[in-house]
Amino acid sequence: MTQNSRDLSRRRLLFGGAAVGAGVLLAGCTSNETEPTAAQTKGADAAASGNAAPGQKVVIGFSAPAADHGWLAAITTNAKAQAAAYSDVEFKTVEAGADAAAQRAALSTLISQKPNVIVMLPHDGKELNAAGLEAMKAGIPVVNLDRAFPDALAYRLQIKGDNYGMGVAAANYIVAQLKAKGVSNPVIGEIPGIDSLELTQERSKGFADTLAQNGLRVSNRRPAEFTADSGQQAATGLLQALPKIDAIWNHDDDQGIGVLAAINQANRKEFFMVGGAGSKKAMEDIQADNTVLKATVTYSPSMASSAISLARLIGQGKGMSDLVELQVPKEIILASETITKENASNYLKLGF
Amino acid sequence: MSEATPTSTAAPDRAAKLPAQSPPVDPAETAAAADHAVSGGRLSWWRGEGGEGAKRNLGLIAVLVALVVIGALTRPDLYSNADWVWANTLTILKLASVVGVVTVGMTFVIIGGGIDLSVGAIVALAGVWATTVATQSYGAGGMIFCALTVGLGVGLVNGLLISYGRLVPFIATLAMLVAARGLAAELSDKQTQVSNNTTINDIASTNLLGIPLLVYILAAVVIAGWVLLNRTTFGRRTVAVGGNPEAARLAGINVKRHTVMLYALSGLCCGIAAIMLTAQATSAQAAMANLYELDAIAAAIIGGTLLSGGRGTIIGSLLGVIIFSTITNLFAINGLTSEAQNMVKGGIIVAAVLVQQVQFRSLTQFLGRNRLTTT
Amino acid sequence: MVSEPGTDAADGVPESATVDAPLVEAPADAVAGEVVLRLTDVVKTFPGVRALDGVQLEVRAGEVHCLLGQNGAGKSTLIKVLSGVHQPDSGQIEWRGEPAAFTNPQAAMRAGIATIYQELDLVEDLSVAENAFLGHEPRQLGFVRRGQMARRTRQILGRLGHGEIPPNRMVRSLPAAGKQVVSMARALSHEARLIIMDEPSAVLAHDEVGNLFRIIRELTAQGIAVIYISHRLEEIREIGDRVTVLKDGRTTAANLPARDTPTRDLVSRMTGRTIEYVFPDRPADAEPAGGDLLEVEGLTRAGEFADVSLRVRPGEIVGIAGLVGSGRSELLETIYGARRPEAGTVRMAGRQLRPGSVGAAVRAGMGMAPEERKSQALLLGEPIYRNVTLATFGRYARGGFTDAGRERAAADQIADSLELRPRDVRRPVRTLSGGNQQKVVVGRWLLGDTKLLLLDEPTRGVDVGARAELYQVIRSLAERGVGVLLVSSEVPEVLGLADRVLVMREGRVVREAPAGELDENTVLDLVMAGSLMEGAPA
Repeated sequence: MTQNSRDLSRRRLLFGGAAVGAGVLLAGCTSNETEPTAAQTKGADAAASGNAAPGQKVVIGFSAPAADHGWLAAITTNAKAQAAAYSDVEFKTVEAGADAAAQRAALSTLISQKPNVIVMLPHDGKELNAAGLEAMKAGIPVVNLDRAFPDALAYRLQIKGDNYGMGVAAANYIVAQLKAKGVSNPVIGEIPGIDSLELTQERSKGFADTLAQNGLRVSNRRPAEFTADSGQQAATGLLQALPKIDAIWNHDDDQGIGVLAAINQANRKEFFMVGGAGSKKAMEDIQADNTVLKATVTYSPSMASSAISLARLIGQGKGMSDLVELQVPKEIILASETITKENASNYLKLGF
Repeated sequence: MSEATPTSTAAPDRAAKLPAQSPPVDPAETAAAADHAVSGGRLSWWRGEGGEGAKRNLGLIAVLVALVVIGALTRPDLYSNADWVWANTLTILKLASVVGVVTVGMTFVIIGGGIDLSVGAIVALAGVWATTVATQSYGAGGMIFCALTVGLGVGLVNGLLISYGRLVPFIATLAMLVAARGLAAELSDKQTQVSNNTTINDIASTNLLGIPLLVYILAAVVIAGWVLLNRTTFGRRTVAVGGNPEAARLAGINVKRHTVMLYALSGLCCGIAAIMLTAQATSAQAAMANLYELDAIAAAIIGGTLLSGGRGTIIGSLLGVIIFSTITNLFAINGLTSEAQNMVKGGIIVAAVLVQQVQFRSLTQFLGRNRLTTT
Repeated sequence: MVSEPGTDAADGVPESATVDAPLVEAPADAVAGEVVLRLTDVVKTFPGVRALDGVQLEVRAGEVHCLLGQNGAGKSTLIKVLSGVHQPDSGQIEWRGEPAAFTNPQAAMRAGIATIYQELDLVEDLSVAENAFLGHEPRQLGFVRRGQMARRTRQILGRLGHGEIPPNRMVRSLPAAGKQVVSMARALSHEARLIIMDEPSAVLAHDEVGNLFRIIRELTAQGIAVIYISHRLEEIREIGDRVTVLKDGRTTAANLPARDTPTRDLVSRMTGRTIEYVFPDRPADAEPAGGDLLEVEGLTRAGEFADVSLRVRPGEIVGIAGLVGSGRSELLETIYGARRPEAGTVRMAGRQLRPGSVGAAVRAGMGMAPEERKSQALLLGEPIYRNVTLATFGRYARGGFTDAGRERAAADQIADSLELRPRDVRRPVRTLSGGNQQKVVVGRWLLGDTKLLLLDEPTRGVDVGARAELYQVIRSLAERGVGVLLVSSEVPEVLGLADRVLVMREGRVVREAPAGELDENTVLDLVMAGSLMEGAPA
């Protein structure tokens, strides 16, 4: 019995020691210092006119969903960095939480603090329309980022990417390449992100419409979930369904990591692929030209930086100095640009 | 005071009474008993999993065959190519491998009377932890050690909360689901962490004798799980603890300690799965392995694991996972939408459970009746 | 007539004589009301058990009719037949002068029979009024008329003399006595003409019982009949008008005057033998050798039992007699480590056991066959052999790998020695009869080196033939030197099997003596005595 219990206690001690050791070791493994990706900002000096000169102090409230994706993370990073570039901007950020309801709650707190301008990327434009109206009614101009409010009274400025245009750009690139290669009856695959989102549907529509104009169609379409592992699984299914492919459009460069992995694992290289959004890694891959990824169409998070600059101008009552108008316009839609090996170096600093 | 009657007089008395005694059983039980009595003489090797379980598994194999037949009928162009069929089979198994490993752990937890909702989150946390810059600097060994230890550790915490903190498994693992994803997001700073370790990434692309390494890993985990459940004292305790925790406790089994070990085992399986998934995606992020808990639970249930514990088979769970990945594959090769796919999956879960209930009860009853009338 | 079953058997007088004897009828003028309920020759069988075997019962309006009987006499089944849960196989139920068949509980309720079970079936998180009118809320266009419901509840509570209970109060917040009043209010909300109360005093503190009686008197004054079931004789004397005694599913005496019938008479009608228990002989050298195997000192758990000390020597069978609720099962589980004692110690072979650890008790050589076989002891879907080896499969394992072959061989031996039927140890244990299931549970502890076996109601739900076999198994275990601590609510079983007997009442040991020095009536008097007899023969 005593022998037994001594063994037991020694065993416990050993086990405890091992557990503590493993814990210490693991804690050391949480460090994650990479070269930080440079935020996409435009310094105060770069502006041509007097707009850059410090002016009236502006408090900008900012709200964007908790980032579960590189693109969203870049939005927040960019906004912060751009705000820091101005000496006359005070930046107040509130986490938007997990869903539209949480963001609505966060926004009412923000509104009660009376910032001069609110910049927000809503979880869902329709669901947060009321929050935009509330802020506008309280006399706070709202800059809507990316996900539009249906009600024009709910925002002062809307700045967004062009989802439909992304599909158009991707399709145009693919059509041009296929024509150049002289492929007839090409097999085209598509890997969208979460299929139930409006942005995904717009992208797919732009892609399909443009292909149709050229007499082409998507052969198979396997949606992923904007994550690498889901991209890998979707791509595996796509590759299995289509023994021979000529081109693939993958909507999102983050999930593209998994898509590329699946392509490597299946040892397929008879086709070329176009990405979406414009991540740094995608641009580097395009530049290196050692994968099937030959191009990506942008949906740049740099819009967050621009949104902050414009919010500052709105707060100070100024217009954009290159334009004739004395106020900032009501709507700005970024063009989706196509990044290829040739121009990748220009865009690399905008990659996230 | 009643006098003790000599035992010698008792014996004939007892014998006389015996035929009259009818054990209180319902018809299904009688039928099952008759079935057992007949098959009692020639017991097969799969007996360890229980005859009922084996019959159930045959049903699942029938479903699998039906799915393949549907595939062949809808895409004869692909199925006419033997090479493609073989490659496709391996693809299905590869697709099943990660969820399969998670499901083995889940099956143990459910047989042991619990539920683990945190498996997807543990896979994500272990994957993210193993792909931090610091961990990657230790090489493939460090990454694997890290994923396994994180999985085991988180599982251990689940088990301790449930056994000694007396939290309901549903609540404890739900809390862990949220917390582990949160920690994963914190560690990864919400970024996708690319694995630059070629040894790890090669796990997903290496083939041995024409069969992917991932499939070998799945097979190894399944075989280990089968042996553990059916041939070891650990497995026996699992069935006892899940089937009747009070009986297990009163038989001297340390129910609490065993419960901790079950969740730790599930966590360990998640750690293995994390490495496999990271290798497949060549990266990890906090949102990975989304809803794997539901896939694993669904697979275990259509595999015949009783949600209330005490019964289940590893082979059944494996078949459940393979059925799901075959459906995914079937929809992919036919270019059908994933909405329809999810509806079919839901239908399959309900149908599988209904079919098992109806089919086996009426089947055993039918057999029992037949035997009773012919003998 | 004070009958000693054993003596009767020896005299060759068939025990059934008691049953066949004409029922003792009370004087017709004892109760004024008309007969509302009459049962004639009601029979109800379950597989293997004849739970009711010819019950006669006559209840008059405005009377408190007491039902008396030992555990298993058929009282519960009778209640369920009256309340529509079970349907009788044969016999007649006459309700208010007309033949009646209650096919379900709702039908009985509609007819005006309400039952208040011991474990009150109230919804704790609904209000008093909602509980009172549960299932038949006053409603209009599908909406519950809450105002009317509250008003009517208040009226009913007033009739019960408890107008102070607010109808909107949550039932959870009421004390046990208050909940009981709500149950009665529910009965009255159905316009009940007969209320069956199953041991209503069991959940009440001593001073609350008086209040209960006051309510019962209010009810009977309004012409409502009450069937009152209790183990406590002094309660029956106080509240009852007439008594019907059940034994082994039969009416052995009907309509005795509750106040005047001598206790001895009631007890003997409850206990008169019809089934002959067959007990194995005690060994000649009645004095087991060796020191104490189990020593329990001052064991206490508040509300369950207090300051219990007992000893069991190797080879000795010690029996504990007591009613449900006397703390005997709790005591056994505490000795076994399944419950943690608040005070006191348990020693096995001189070594003190870690409190609250079943593992420690099992390692020290204890084994237990718990009261609820199915829920506490068996894995019903698993094969017999795995149930037999549930506590010992680790010993047949090699390096953590189980050895089914060796386990089956060991279980086969047990099955042979216990004459298990059917013999195939690979069958699921669920297919066995109650007696054979119990053999599996006892057999489990024959495999290990069990030194002390704790048996809680080992023959509950076991038919007569298997009982005799179990008794023999227990005796032969003792002959092999195993100590046995046996709990049973069947007094003859304890007296016939044990060498030494402890009588428990309300958590305390009130008598300890060699089995030969006690007879059944003495023990029954002891276990059933209320406060009047407290501290009597000890």
